[in-house]
Amino acid sequence: MPELRIENLTKRFKNETVLDGVSFTVAEGETTILFGPSGAGKTVLLRCIAGAVDPEEGRITIGGNDISDVPPEHRGIGMAFQNFALFPHMTAFDNIASPLTARRWSREKIQEGVEQVAKLLKIGHVLSHPPRALSNGQKQRTALARALAASPEILLLDDPLRNVDAKLRFEMRLELPRLLADQGATVIYVTQDYKEAMALGDRIAVLSGGRIAQIGTPEDIYRRPASVEIARHFGDPTINLLDVVPEKDGGGVFTRLSDQRVPLDSGLEAAVGRDCVLGLRPEALRFSDSPDGIPVEIEAETPFNEKTVTLVVTARKREILISRPAGTAAPGSGTARIEVDATDALLFDRATQERIAPQHRGGGKSEAAA
Amino acid sequence: MATASDTSIPRRRFSVSRRVLPYLLSLPALLVCIAILVPFFTAVFYSLQRFRLSQPWNRGMNWGENYLNFLSDPDFWNTLQVSLTYAFLTVGLELLLGLGIALLLKKRSRLNNFISIMLLMPLMTAPALAALMWKLMTNPNFGILSYFAAQLGFPDFRWGSSPDTALFTVLLVDIWVYTPFIMILLLAGLRSLPTQPFEAAALDGVPRVQQFWRITLPMLTPYILTASLFRLLDSIQQFDIIYALTQGGPGDTLMVFQVEAYLNFFQSMNVGRSAALLMILWVITYFLSNIFIKNWLRLRERARGEA
Amino acid sequence: MDHMSPVEKGLRGIALSAVVLFFMFPIFWIVLMSLQTNETILRSPPSMVFEPTFRNYIAIVTGKLDSNVASMDITFMRNLWNSILLSAGSVAVALLLGVPAAYAFARHKFRGSEEVAFTLLSFRFAPPLLVLLPLSLYFQQIGLANTYIGLIWVYQLICLPLILWIVRGYFEDISPDLEHAYRIAGHSWLSTFRRIALPLAGPGIAAAGLLAFIFAWNNFIFALVLASADKQPVTVGALAFVTASGIQYGQIAAAIVLSIAPTLALALYAQRYLVEGLSLGAVKG
Repeated sequence: MPELRIENLTKRFKNETVLDGVSFTVAEGETTILFGPSGAGKTVLLRCIAGAVDPEEGRITIGGNDISDVPPEHRGIGMAFQNFALFPHMTAFDNIASPLTARRWSREKIQEGVEQVAKLLKIGHVLSHPPRALSNGQKQRTALARALAASPEILLLDDPLRNVDAKLRFEMRLELPRLLADQGATVIYVTQDYKEAMALGDRIAVLSGGRIAQIGTPEDIYRRPASVEIARHFGDPTINLLDVVPEKDGGGVFTRLSDQRVPLDSGLEAAVGRDCVLGLRPEALRFSDSPDGIPVEIEAETPFNEKTVTLVVTARKREILISRPAGTAAPGSGTARIEVDATDALLFDRATQERIAPQHRGGGKSEAAA
Repeated sequence: MATASDTSIPRRRFSVSRRVLPYLLSLPALLVCIAILVPFFTAVFYSLQRFRLSQPWNRGMNWGENYLNFLSDPDFWNTLQVSLTYAFLTVGLELLLGLGIALLLKKRSRLNNFISIMLLMPLMTAPALAALMWKLMTNPNFGILSYFAAQLGFPDFRWGSSPDTALFTVLLVDIWVYTPFIMILLLAGLRSLPTQPFEAAALDGVPRVQQFWRITLPMLTPYILTASLFRLLDSIQQFDIIYALTQGGPGDTLMVFQVEAYLNFFQSMNVGRSAALLMILWVITYFLSNIFIKNWLRLRERARGEA
Repeated sequence: MDHMSPVEKGLRGIALSAVVLFFMFPIFWIVLMSLQTNETILRSPPSMVFEPTFRNYIAIVTGKLDSNVASMDITFMRNLWNSILLSAGSVAVALLLGVPAAYAFARHKFRGSEEVAFTLLSFRFAPPLLVLLPLSLYFQQIGLANTYIGLIWVYQLICLPLILWIVRGYFEDISPDLEHAYRIAGHSWLSTFRRIALPLAGPGIAAAGLLAFIFAWNNFIFALVLASADKQPVTVGALAFVTASGIQYGQIAAAIVLSIAPTLALALYAQRYLVEGLSLGAVKG
């Protein structure tokens, strides 16, 4: 299975630049998630790779071969569309068989191939139905089966779970990783759902305004988001963002919340005195009895199945969300104190909205945002 | 699922580039299009010539003379007047009738649908043949309409052959053929109107006559406009019905543009004048068609949006 | 809307009856006339009571008219054949040229595409004689005069815009993703066009073709200017027939019935698409 490399890809529609010099590489057999809000250019990027749209600039190579001039049918790609794009005048069987007929397989082999992939996706019983007779979930599986049928080396999945209901999405999210691993294909998977991105991706490429804002492992993206925007997209409830100005004294770098010291990573010395945004994940906060804790007023509590989210307000009327595993004890109402883990606090430059990475021993680990 | 060898796709000998393809596909239609532009420009050229087929030796450019002559040519003014009268009368009457019938048939019922389909039959009849049918019906010897006219106290009603009633007769045929066109367009329009405004008006006790003026008519306007312009464009060029019924006569009663141009060309053999007449008609239709196409496009976008 | 007074109901009924009478009567009457002999036609007052006869139709179909005065040849079957040939030929050519172009205009917004599409459309509204009169001179020179090919080419003025604009709408309604999906699955452009675009636009193509056929059939002026007697379709032929046959009214009526029957039948068959076709896709039926 080959490596897929995208270099400096640029696509304009009329005067609007949809993709603006996008470059990244998907290693052999790896699943890369293309994540971003709608209109970020994810679908266009996928279409450029598939050959449905011609980019203005840039190169796409598969296993080192430039495919810019290769028509879509010779790129050896499998693709599943967000709207399924099932051929309405063909049965599910013929839909799934379409990549195999193109490869001039014999009738028996096609039969065998379709049945095999249909069994894998549990749609063997609806193969004779036309798409309009299929449920949404069956349509989605048929579309996926069609993309997988010819065992393509490159698999492009355009938000395949977008148009199915929550229950099915949950099931598929569990099923897909195994399916993709079995295929061994190099996969690009588009989604707007951060949980899907975290669950399915070896790596996540965050697309924003036609550019790659950050690319990294799910852990990277979550722990070390390159910008306020990315931090906000990943995590539920959304990250708490508070305007602060870091200070420094003998005890190290810190900032204040309600006159209480919030210690920061010692590598953040460069941020001292600058206008910053402090990012605190709701799950990185906890209630505490310590007198050093930040005093807050508890406003509301919302229990979810696996966690409980509490909305609290600081003395300066700043709202903060706190998340804790369901069933753990916490003060119910009134005043309380909360504590912050210094290692979990994220600091962003307020002007550029970019994260200020801690500097340890000469630069430390590379976390450069592309 | 597949071995490496059969995952490749058989290559064809040639493949057409994405950039060339659309031009290639539309090229044949384009050529036909261009080929039709040639006679068009020839006509423009003829209109600037002194050109009679009967006097080939006398042919030559006379530039705007054909057009200038029109200014003092009573026949031309007659043609212009007859054409405009014909066009506006037919479209006006057909609009009133068509709207009335569409309102009668608005409710979807089996009978109404059946009637609206039956009413398509005149529209699908070739106008020239429709004119012949009416010619038979108005035949003084056995025509059923002549008989009715006589019964009603007009024993000498001469229909198409009298200058007094020729216009009336061709109007009847035009109305017979084309009212269904306006009717089905307006019917489709009426049936596609949202029902909420009407329900709200009915709840508020707005009388139905007022509902028509305040809600139906304004909402139907784009359809009315498109249908009328469409018809106006056709009607000002009417040839078939008039030619088949009276050949523009009696006298010059019905000498509309195209009939006059046709007779100029084939009877007087005055190609120059014929072409100049048609150019003037073309200018009129060109302006009308520009307005029409704008309306039509808007309606088309809407229809496609609803689909 | 449903609570109508009996008076209103009655008025509506009368109005509808009048409408149906006005629009249906001429066809009804001409059919009756075609089934009568000249003697019963010329009776006064006219009567609905008569012995129907197919003599008029037989005379036209066999091409021989034997009256007590003389024997006469009727070439009207030739006109019918010409109509069929011209209409079918024109539609075939228009489909061949128009469907690929409609696809190109629908899928690829290439430079000048809108302009070309509109130019084609504007032909629909230009005075036909403007093009026909110069053509009648050209056709003499280039040997297209009095050929089917020449006529079929000119008939594209009616058929091509119709097909282009209706079929284009149908192609635009097909999601481009369907075609992308088929190509990505490994099929060539051509096979995608044949297996996806054409079948899905099929109903629209059929409807546009039928309508184009009807319009070509009903056309009068093109053949009047460009065709001589042996190439004339029914519209022109019927007019000539009236002049030639003089007082054979029954045959004239039968000829008219034979001439309008095909389009009426097609129209009833395709009535679902008529609204859309007649308005060039501006109104959905």
